Amino acid sequence: MKSDASRSLSWKEACAKIGAVPLSVTGKNPDKDEPPDLTNSGVGGVQMADVSVDVETGIVRINKMVAVQDCGLVVDVKTAESQVMGALIMGISYSLYEEKILDPVTGIVLNPNLEFYRLAGLNDIGELKVHMMTGKGYDERGVIGLAEPPVVSPGAAISNAVANAIGVRVPFLPLTPDRVLAALEEGGAHATV
Amino acid sequence: MQQFEYATPTKKEQIAVLLGDNGSVLAGGTDLLALMKDDIVTPNRLVNIKQVDGLRGISYQSSTGLRIGALTTLAELSESTKDLSAYPVLTEAAREAASPQIRNLATVGGNMCQRPRDWYFRNGMGLLAMKDGKSLLREGDNRYAAILGNDGTALFVSPSTIAPVLIALGAKIRLYSAKASGSGVRELALEKFFVIPTQEGQREHDLKPDEIVSEIIVPPPTKNLKASSYEVRQRAAFDWPLAHAAVALEMDGNTVKSARVVLGHVAPVPWVSDEAAAALVGKPVNNDTAMAAANAAVANAKPLSRNKYKVTLTKAAVKRAVLNAAAGRAGGVS
Repeated sequence: MKSDASRSLSWKEACAKIGAVPLSVTGKNPDKDEPPDLTNSGVGGVQMADVSVDVETGIVRINKMVAVQDCGLVVDVKTAESQVMGALIMGISYSLYEEKILDPVTGIVLNPNLEFYRLAGLNDIGELKVHMMTGKGYDERGVIGLAEPPVVSPGAAISNAVANAIGVRVPFLPLTPDRVLAALEEGGAHATV
Repeated sequence: MQQFEYATPTKKEQIAVLLGDNGSVLAGGTDLLALMKDDIVTPNRLVNIKQVDGLRGISYQSSTGLRIGALTTLAELSESTKDLSAYPVLTEAAREAASPQIRNLATVGGNMCQRPRDWYFRNGMGLLAMKDGKSLLREGDNRYAAILGNDGTALFVSPSTIAPVLIALGAKIRLYSAKASGSGVRELALEKFFVIPTQEGQREHDLKPDEIVSEIIVPPPTKNLKASSYEVRQRAAFDWPLAHAAVALEMDGNTVKSARVVLGHVAPVPWVSDEAAAALVGKPVNNDTAMAAANAAVANAKPLSRNKYKVTLTKAAVKRAVLNAAAGRAGGVS
């Protein structure tokens, strides 16, 4: 205690008082007829992207992304939503910017830095909205897990939004200005950059 | 990093001797130290000029124009002060030139002397990046390389976004060396300071080994000057431009009396486009004339295998800078 030095302990001393407490847990295999408590399959989600494409420069900007995600029983809504937000940001980054560029002549990586291996910055992310599916039909399926699934969809959602905006598909990620302009110029034939 | 000596002179007369044959001037250090860590440059001595008198400050007089000391930071240049109020295009360009942390350190003199961002150069393959008699940029990945002024072996692009704006405003650069005769000052039009090297070992600036940049002089703005700078950047967060245009239009009513159009990130030097300027003179500014200037700016472009898109981006930059200038908007970013 700050006000009473005689009742004060250093961090090290405080930790020593905890002692060595072993963690002992006993469990049993679940009844096959009951729904599982913990599984690794059966998550689902859908994502939507609202983008702007500058057709004179080929630059794509994210206005808004919405992710609706199911992962069975959500133990903590706030951290689950945060996980999906992170997935959206990673997804925007790989959809628009991230690219390892190998030199076709020497084979070296030309952009081993954050200058030309671009990551999305705060201004590149737009508005993110996450909705976790909870309640009847979801909770009783038990804890499934969240992890990577929401990072799969942004590439498709953003590509679809860009195709919807400009009328042609850009068949490569990331959707860089050169590729978007090439797709516009070729009017839907596959861009070759 | 190679070991080096360190000197901190307080008088500009001391600099030339301290630099010797293989010294480097240290100001903000935002570019130099990164180049040293990567062993791209290996000076045997750094001469820190930040304690030298007379290299700082911004001052304006209506008769002589603006004086920008070489040690002025980009942050200082981006502040909307009374001295800078006649040049909003300059403050806008400085504000967009780097992230806040960099702007607080980087100097105007250093911005003029910064080295290209070309990835072959930054990977230690030389400024011209020649291998077995062939240009790595011509044969390899040239998506960010030059589309103008690329007839020779220099295919990198000039990195400054301040220089094109200053050149459009008619700026001069003053260089100083105690070893030079007379006052030691050499003054030249800023566009003459940037040169396209033809051999490895040559620099992209006309700065002698014993010289420093001491100041930039911008003439007072002409009557009815409308200037604007436009950067096409892939990211909204800080990013190097893919194309950049700075325009300064002297207007006579609705008609362009004279024009300067300077392109950035498209050539080994800030590229003065007389063709684009000529397309505007004697005409009103509208969508058609802005587009005509944009087309004229890239009429002589020679894109490489992977950078044809930069021709389109350059056109967008010129068109938007011209239209923004006429509309009284000093800056713009895609």
